[in-house]
Amino acid sequence: MQESLASFFGVTCSQLQKLISIAMEEGGEYADIFFEHTTVNELSLRDNRINRAGSHTDYGVGIRVIQGEHTGYAYSEITAMPQMEKAARFAAKIASSGRTLSMPSAVRKISGNDFYPMKRDLESFGIGEKLPFLELLDKRIFELERRCTKVRAAISDSLSKIMFFNSLGEFYTDIRPLVSVMGSATFEQNGRLESAGASKSFRAGAEILNDNLIEELASTIAAKGAFLFEARQPVGGEMPVVMAAGSSGILLHEAVGHAFEADFVRKGTSIFSDRLGMQVCDNSITIVDDATLTSNRGSLNYDDEGIPGQKTALVEKGRLNSFLHDRISAKYYNTAPTGNGRRESFRYMPIPRMRATYMEGGEFSREEIIAGVRKGIYATDFSNGQVQIGAGDFSFYVKSGYMIENGKLAAPVKDINIIGNGPQALGEISMVGNDSMIDNSTWTCGKGQYCPVSCGMPTVLVRHLIVGGLA
Amino acid sequence: MIQTNIMIYGTEENRRETECARFVLNYLEKHGAQARVTLNKGCINSICILNGKTDRLQMSNDRALTIQVYYKNRYGNFSTNRLEKDELEKFADNALCATMFVEEDLARALPERELYYRGDNPDLGQSDSSIFTITDERKKEIAVEVCSSMEGNRYLVSAESEYNNYLDYQYIIDSQGFEAHSVQTDFDVCAQCSVRNGGDARYESYWYESAMHFNELDYKRCGIVALERGIAKFNPVKARSGKYNMIIENCCASRVVSPIINGLNGSLIQQKNSFLAGSLGKRVFGENVTFKDQPHRYGMAGSRYFDSEGIATKEMTFVENGIINNYFIDSYYSRKLNMPVTAESPSVPELVCCNKSEGEFQGTAELMREMDSGILVTGFNGGNCNGATGDFSYGIEGFRFRGGKIIHPVREMNITGNVVSLWNNLALAGKDPQKWAKWQIPSLAFENINFNGK
Repeated sequence: MQESLASFFGVTCSQLQKLISIAMEEGGEYADIFFEHTTVNELSLRDNRINRAGSHTDYGVGIRVIQGEHTGYAYSEITAMPQMEKAARFAAKIASSGRTLSMPSAVRKISGNDFYPMKRDLESFGIGEKLPFLELLDKRIFELERRCTKVRAAISDSLSKIMFFNSLGEFYTDIRPLVSVMGSATFEQNGRLESAGASKSFRAGAEILNDNLIEELASTIAAKGAFLFEARQPVGGEMPVVMAAGSSGILLHEAVGHAFEADFVRKGTSIFSDRLGMQVCDNSITIVDDATLTSNRGSLNYDDEGIPGQKTALVEKGRLNSFLHDRISAKYYNTAPTGNGRRESFRYMPIPRMRATYMEGGEFSREEIIAGVRKGIYATDFSNGQVQIGAGDFSFYVKSGYMIENGKLAAPVKDINIIGNGPQALGEISMVGNDSMIDNSTWTCGKGQYCPVSCGMPTVLVRHLIVGGLA
Repeated sequence: MIQTNIMIYGTEENRRETECARFVLNYLEKHGAQARVTLNKGCINSICILNGKTDRLQMSNDRALTIQVYYKNRYGNFSTNRLEKDELEKFADNALCATMFVEEDLARALPERELYYRGDNPDLGQSDSSIFTITDERKKEIAVEVCSSMEGNRYLVSAESEYNNYLDYQYIIDSQGFEAHSVQTDFDVCAQCSVRNGGDARYESYWYESAMHFNELDYKRCGIVALERGIAKFNPVKARSGKYNMIIENCCASRVVSPIINGLNGSLIQQKNSFLAGSLGKRVFGENVTFKDQPHRYGMAGSRYFDSEGIATKEMTFVENGIINNYFIDSYYSRKLNMPVTAESPSVPELVCCNKSEGEFQGTAELMREMDSGILVTGFNGGNCNGATGDFSYGIEGFRFRGGKIIHPVREMNITGNVVSLWNNLALAGKDPQKWAKWQIPSLAFENINFNGK
């Protein structure tokens, strides 16, 4: 694999060493080179027919130099030595110590992790094989919900070939697959329109697409569409919120996950900056960020700076246990990197990012948790979220859910934003369900650059959040 | 045709790359397809200063060739940044094969020729060749100056500034003989800070200035404004739920315009996925609401003579006195909907509001004075709008004001409602759209808006 990718990118081991030497010649403390070739294939259906095909190839190399906490970065879309040497010289400019560190002569290949085995190669997965899945999704949504008027569906599969080398002599290669299938539909009843969608995404080969997966998606979309005709925006205000198992993991991602990213912590801008080792919530709560889940959208064999994929306990029994580190923050805090150094592509320098962030299960059943609420919201389906890292205020958008009245599910609700404060919300989680579940939708995190992630959650009760709604 | 009088890429490299575009077009035509080939090139230089020290230096040069293939009314869209001849031949061949799998759709074709932009109209002031002469030292000097202006403040936790300049070049050719170049430059400075006055909370703020011409980049107060806006957030209060007047500051007012622009998109109209489907010719918003698209304004971000299909842009009033006059229809959705082509998207949309009160309302200070009490929204924190129904719910940040004066910042509040009712409650608009913004939306004042708090 290593040799074949080196040949694919057209470089030899001695050329890699030469580039690192150039990158370090102004006195940088560390340098790395990240080669990437990504091809994304897309196929779309609209108006009951396959109406668009697409393919997008991105190829290049990024060269990074670190001096203290500071970074020089340049990339080239051409992997010939003159262009790469130019990029290395630009990145080198960040350093000015004048000390030149010697490059280790030995190259150490790192390997072993295999969190996304592919049974069926994506490169040979032809359009003809994908068509029937889109046609089936289209057909089933129309069959399941008579009010459906339009279906939009797409399959996207991508394969990234990665080769990495650094000034410590570490070398790895990785093949990262990502297969996603998305569907959305418009429903109409007496002139009223509603729209619902759902998606599934995995780091896996073509084998992940099958009729059962399509049937699950079709059922979800049809059920969501039917639900929306019954739902209304509720009366808003401050109230208890029960977060359903699965996609409510967006609460963790927004409310605490970003604030645990150590670049914000290092700059002192995170509200959790001074709280490492402290009790931040009930001791029934454990939150992890995990790169090791098989075929998960957020999994990584190695991060984008050569650190093995791993599972990191952020909050362990209520105590803030670890931040999410890249190499820069780990050095700053004199701790080991946690494998969270990620980048959107070779065009970006790596920064601390989440992978699959979820809360481990607790002791209560979903029914017990709902029964404990006199008046509140049960939120089941989510779309987007956002956070202010320093103040800790976060929000997430609830596509659908139910009112809870006297411990029972009541009127269906939809289209409400929920807003709260991260540390306070974490402290206000008072019941944790025994049904922790990962949501495998196409979650994508934006932090100046995009990365695929996933999230998960058991059913939990947050005692107070501000729920959007009518007066 | 050239949209700008500055042919920045008149080089040997540019000649080779435009030849690549021509090669791919010829290859596809030889195999019975029609196509549009677009070459995009970009160059970004960036320097970031964190607490007085150079934190990040970045240089990047991007290029991508995109082909839109039309083969017997079948369509595919493909891109690559590998421009070597042998790679391109494989790329074009694979694109053609993939397109053959797509089902026939009679609406898939290049635009009608008479819609193309023709002729060399006057320069739209979209680029500044001085981008090549600004030294790295000068870029650093600007970023350092902006960062320094925040340093020394007793509340400061962290100060960061960034200088970026961008050069974007586009070359389009298609099988019907359309051929055009365009160049845009952009210079921007951003100041960000985090401030604290006891307690765990750090309040973040930023300010951003941008210009297409370097000598118009008004960066001097960027750091000061960011700092002032951060400190103003200290000691926020959870306000009570209820109906309030709402003023939205110019820097974030486009957030409540985007559901309208999106809702007028031909794709959503055709898919019946818009709350504005079926509204053409009907009064939907308040009579004081008019939106115009003015694509030929000199020196404005977004100005252009042609869109990505090569279709000539033109001035258009898409909402007039609350009545929906036009959807945004490209050539594909024109055929699907059997409606005339208008524009694929607005270029420089502008709000023209006929205010309900007489007087001069420049910005938020005058609007607060006139509205007397309510909530001034200075930023949004998440939220979304359901495009099919127009129902929205957004998190906001901002200030409670009374007697025309700010009294305290608010925290953890949402606004919830429907886009149609929101824009029937527009009372006043300022005259302060940010001059560098592509969407020319001033500060806005609405009545009777539903806020959710404690």
